[in-house]
This record gives sequence, structure tokens and C-alpha cells, in this order.
Amino acid sequence: MIKVGIPRALLYYQYYPMWKAFFEELGAEVVVSLPTTQTMFSSGSSRVVADTCLPVKIFLGHVLSLVEKCDYIFIPAIRSVKRKAYNCSKFLGLPDMTKAVIPESPPILDIDIDINKGKRHLYQAIYKLGQRLTWNPLKVRQASLAAWQAHLEYRQLMSSQGLTPPQAIAKMAGEVEPKAPTSTQATIALIGHPYILYDEHISHRLIYRLEETHNKVLTPEMLTTEELESATARLVGKAHWTYEDEVAGAGGHYLESEADGVIGLMTFGCGPDSLMMDMVHRRAVKLKATPFISLTLEEHTTEGGIATRREAFLDMINRRKRRQIEVCA
Amino acid sequence: MRIATSHLGNLYITIKAWVQKLGLGGNLIIPPANNQRTLSLGVKYSPEGLCLPFKMSLGNLIEACEMGADTLVIAGGAGICRLGYYAKIQEQILRDLGYNFEMIGLSMSEHKLFGLPKLIKRLSNNASWFKVISALRFAVAKQIAMDKIERVVQKVRAVELIKGTANQLYAKAIEAIDNADDYNTLKKVQIDYIDQLNHVAKDTQTKPLIVGIIGEFYVVLEPFSNLNIESELGKLGVEVRRRTFISEWAKFSLFFNSLGLDEKSKIHKAALPYLKRDIGGDGWESVGEKVLHAKEYDGLIHLAPFTCMPEIVAQNIMPSTKENIPVLPVLCDEQINKTGMLTRLEAFVDLLKSKRRARNNTQHKES
Repeated sequence: MIKVGIPRALLYYQYYPMWKAFFEELGAEVVVSLPTTQTMFSSGSSRVVADTCLPVKIFLGHVLSLVEKCDYIFIPAIRSVKRKAYNCSKFLGLPDMTKAVIPESPPILDIDIDINKGKRHLYQAIYKLGQRLTWNPLKVRQASLAAWQAHLEYRQLMSSQGLTPPQAIAKMAGEVEPKAPTSTQATIALIGHPYILYDEHISHRLIYRLEETHNKVLTPEMLTTEELESATARLVGKAHWTYEDEVAGAGGHYLESEADGVIGLMTFGCGPDSLMMDMVHRRAVKLKATPFISLTLEEHTTEGGIATRREAFLDMINRRKRRQIEVCA
Repeated sequence: MRIATSHLGNLYITIKAWVQKLGLGGNLIIPPANNQRTLSLGVKYSPEGLCLPFKMSLGNLIEACEMGADTLVIAGGAGICRLGYYAKIQEQILRDLGYNFEMIGLSMSEHKLFGLPKLIKRLSNNASWFKVISALRFAVAKQIAMDKIERVVQKVRAVELIKGTANQLYAKAIEAIDNADDYNTLKKVQIDYIDQLNHVAKDTQTKPLIVGIIGEFYVVLEPFSNLNIESELGKLGVEVRRRTFISEWAKFSLFFNSLGLDEKSKIHKAALPYLKRDIGGDGWESVGEKVLHAKEYDGLIHLAPFTCMPEIVAQNIMPSTKENIPVLPVLCDEQINKTGMLTRLEAFVDLLKSKRRARNNTQHKES
């Protein structure tokens, strides 16, 4: 059986169930890399110029860990999934960049996704990808329908049941999900791209640490697309980036919602985030309603550094809550 | 209405000519040429992770607002790196600083300069199209003249006996062009200065090294942001070549692209084996130019603002091309300093010289 490798990084968290359904329907076996480790990061980091961003370095580490394990590696070039909103250059150049810096990698299955070019172009792109695994157009069609179903189910699981992407993926695979710890303290909303929030190596297990101290954690995926889009529109007007909703949309929404505090996570050198976080920050300053902190992560960030800021932020929120209760009483 | 926009090389002369020809000279505010204060202001009020072009143009706009500008024109558009987002954030920052102004976003995305006609009509107080276009033609003629002279300057700098002569003449030429009021004077100025440049005392014995400048549009065109790298290379006896000129860009963005001609198709074709798609900004062109010029030039200098997304991708891909040529990447940000850059340039030029010597020696032996 043909093995298709999918790196557990970047867009994995958004689309894995979809990709998995597509390739399995075409009769391939899907191999996913293991969760990020320091070794993966170092190996990926050694291949690229220093100011490449952390998530891309980690992505390349995942690709390197898959080199011996599969016949193809799936790396899409997603330019746009929404009209007139475009993705960061690094996502567009990902297949070519991987080929350039990891010459030993197995053949790369790439696909150009650009909604602006119309449906026809999209179908052709999917068909072209499917053709690399099968000659039968009907089978490609079947596979893409199955993939779309899987994706809808995945989104549904997250927004209706409040699951995070890793939990939803585990649930879809039939694994038992760990019970969410009881939350008695504050409700903290995390905003940022899924590949930062759920990669425990990048985020230093921030979600786990927050839940451990009995805080409820909200993430962008727990909102519906409509909620995200309307919040984006209120904060920045027309979205410019493909994944603007995860930062600007979620940030705008949670700042006006019942969350006690909002934590923004971004990595150093991220082009889109440097702008979007600033928009959220400015809104937070203007509203003066919900406390907001943005944490910039990079390869030299330590868990201790994050812990200090997390604790200070939580202390501040708890003090604020106590005072509100006192005032009410 | 007092209009202002940010600087880009000597583009302000063209804009000024255009506005003056429309008889609206008093409406235009030209912020001070890029200087340390511009940079400091930009850096102070920008989010830290942003690129140099953003910080510099924000500095320009702040200085323009200080001078009383009430209408700001900012370039932007979809599909082209962070530039498309500039207007949103810069507007926020300026408003938070307490300035009152109207913001006009100039979209130059895949439709190229699509929204321009409407904007021109508005800014020019509904002047007739004939007037607008004839004024624009004259302004573009100025830009073309400046760029023509600059091309000669790039050649002369490398071989002039008294270093700095070409730069002095160039500065004078820019001033003369700025002052020129009609086509005849402009033509005379152009011919006169090119003639003067050709008669500068030159070293005719040595063949200068040829270095191509590639990379991101803004830092390539804005000497303040790249610490006048071309002039420094000239001092080291290097002839600089570059494709990016404002006049070329304007010619294609304004006219030829809308006719379906693409000046970059050759470059894109060259890049194709290594980078299959447009990645925004000038990343695709950087890779393509390396492939194209590998045979023609002695070396390349790749200029990019720090954290520039497309150029990082290009930087990662460039070492893997079959076509080999030494490339020196120079990242421009507010921390860049002259000594550091000069050291690297000197080392790079030494390397190119020894490479050329080695090549000449092998050729001698063969023949």
C-alpha cells in the first residue's frame, strides 16, 4: 500500500481529518509524524536561514522525521480559502521550500488551492492531486466528497462540543478522550493559530497548565464560522489573511464576551500575526473590559518565562474578580 | 485639502511634477526626506515585529501630519504580503496619536492600479482627463529621465578616478530635473548630465566587477533603508545592475499589464523549476533573477527587510539552484549599521575578485 506522510504541523490541525479521509478513500495509508520534539525542531532549524519562523522550522523537522517512513509527503500550497483573502508567503512556498532544503524528501504531493480562481480551478487541482494516486476520476470525486464530509464533521465536533482539534481528531479516530478537568477558576480565551496553540512544544503546554489550575480554556475553534466572521468584520473590516479569523476574529469575539481574560499567542517573525495581534491589542485598550496579554514565542522561550507571565496574568484576573464580587456585595 | 504620501526613493519628484502640472502644487505636502528621525518615529509607534518599509512609511506619515497634511494616500491591496494590511494599522496608529485626516487606500493588487482613475479624479479636483494625463505624462518623463541618469551613474561610480564625482553630479541632476518645467528643459538636462557623467575621468584599464541588486522593492529603491549600498559598492569599484526602477514598474503597472503583457514572465519562467508559484511580494522574482543572472554577473546582493515573508522563502530556496553565483543576503532593519555592512561588502567584493582571478588564470592556462 502506498504510504502518504502528513507532518503534524501547520495546517494539520485545521484539515487533518479531511486529508486523511481523502487519501484513505484513494487506497493509501496515512502516516502522521509524532508530536513535536526538541530533536525535530533542531533538525528542521538546521536546514533553513535563521529568521525563518518557528512553526516552519518545526514543520521541516516533521518532514525530516517522515523521510524514511513514507512514499509521498503531502504538502499543500494554500493560497486562499476565502475570496480576496490570502495566505502568508510561507504557506504558498512550503512545497518548493521543502524540496529546496530537504532534497532527500520523498516526492511531494502538492496542490494549489486558490478560491479566487473559481470552482473549476479548484476541482482541477483536486483531480490533479488525486491522479497521482489513481487513474479513476470517479474515485477522486468520491474521495473528495468523503473528505469534505469528514471536514464538516470535524468542525461540527469542535464548535458544538467545545473540543480542541487534538481532542476532536482523537474522537474521530475512536479513541477515548481524556475527561476535561473541572473548572472552578477563571475562563481564559486563547487566541492564535492552531499550530501554535496545540503544538505543546511551541506553546509550552499552556492549555494543560491553565486547565491544571482549574481554569476553563476557550479556543478559536470553539466558535462557529459565523461568529468568527462577524467578529472579524467588526474589528478589521474585510479580512486580508486566510486565517485572520483565528486571531482577529476570535480576539474580537472573546474581548466582548464573558471570558475573564484573553491570551494571544504568536511566534516571533510572524508577518500576519504581528499586524493582527496589534489590532486586537488596540481594541482591548479601547474597550478596557477584558484583560489581554500577547505572548511572543520563539525558540529561546522557556517554560519558566511563560509560567511567570501566565501566573501574573491569572493573579491579576482573580484579584479583579474578587473585587467585582466585593463591589457587588 | 493637503495631500501627503510616504517616500519611495525619488518618487516624490514625480508626484510633485504631476501635482504642479495640474496646478495644485499648494495642495501637496512632501514630508522631509527619510532621515534618522523618520525611522525613530516609525519604530517608536509600530508593532515591533513589523518590517522596515512599514516603519519608515509610518514615520513619513507622522512627519506629514505634523506638517499639516489632512489627506493621506497609502498603498495597499490584496494578495501582496503585509503591504495590503499597512493602511489599516497605520490609520489606527495615526488616529490613536490624535491626528485628524482622511485616508485613501491605493489598491494595487492583482488588478494592478485599478482604483487609480477614480482616485486621480478626486484628488485633482475633477480636472479634465486630458489635463490629468498630459500632466502624468510629463511626470513620468521626469521619472524616466532620473532613472536613465541613475543607470549611467551606476556605471560611472565603479570606474571614476575621484570617488564621489558621479554622486555629486547625480544630486545636481536630480535637482535640475526637479526644477525643469517643460519637456525641452527636461531633455536638455538629461542630455547634459549624461554627457557630463560620460566625461568624468575614468579608470579605463580595469574591468569592474558586476554585482546585481535583487530583492524587496522598497529596500532596493530606498537608499536610506539600505544605507546607500549602491554608492558604497561603487566606492569599492563595483558596477551595480538592477532591474527594479520606479519608471519600469510604473510603465508596466499602469499600461502594459492591463494589456496582458508581463515584463516578469521571463523571470518567472526561470524560477519555475525551483519555485512554482507566486508567493507574494518579490520572492518569486528574487529566485528567478538569481537563475537568470548566474551567468552574466559576478555576484548578487539580495536585499530584504528583516522578517519579510516572501524574501525568507526566496532565501531558503536560492542556495539550492543549479545555476550558481555568490549571493550576499543583506537584511535591512532599524539595527543595521554602516560599519557592519561595509565589512561584509568588502569581504564579499574580495571574494568576487579572487573568484574572477581564479577564472582568468584557468582560462589563460587553457589557451
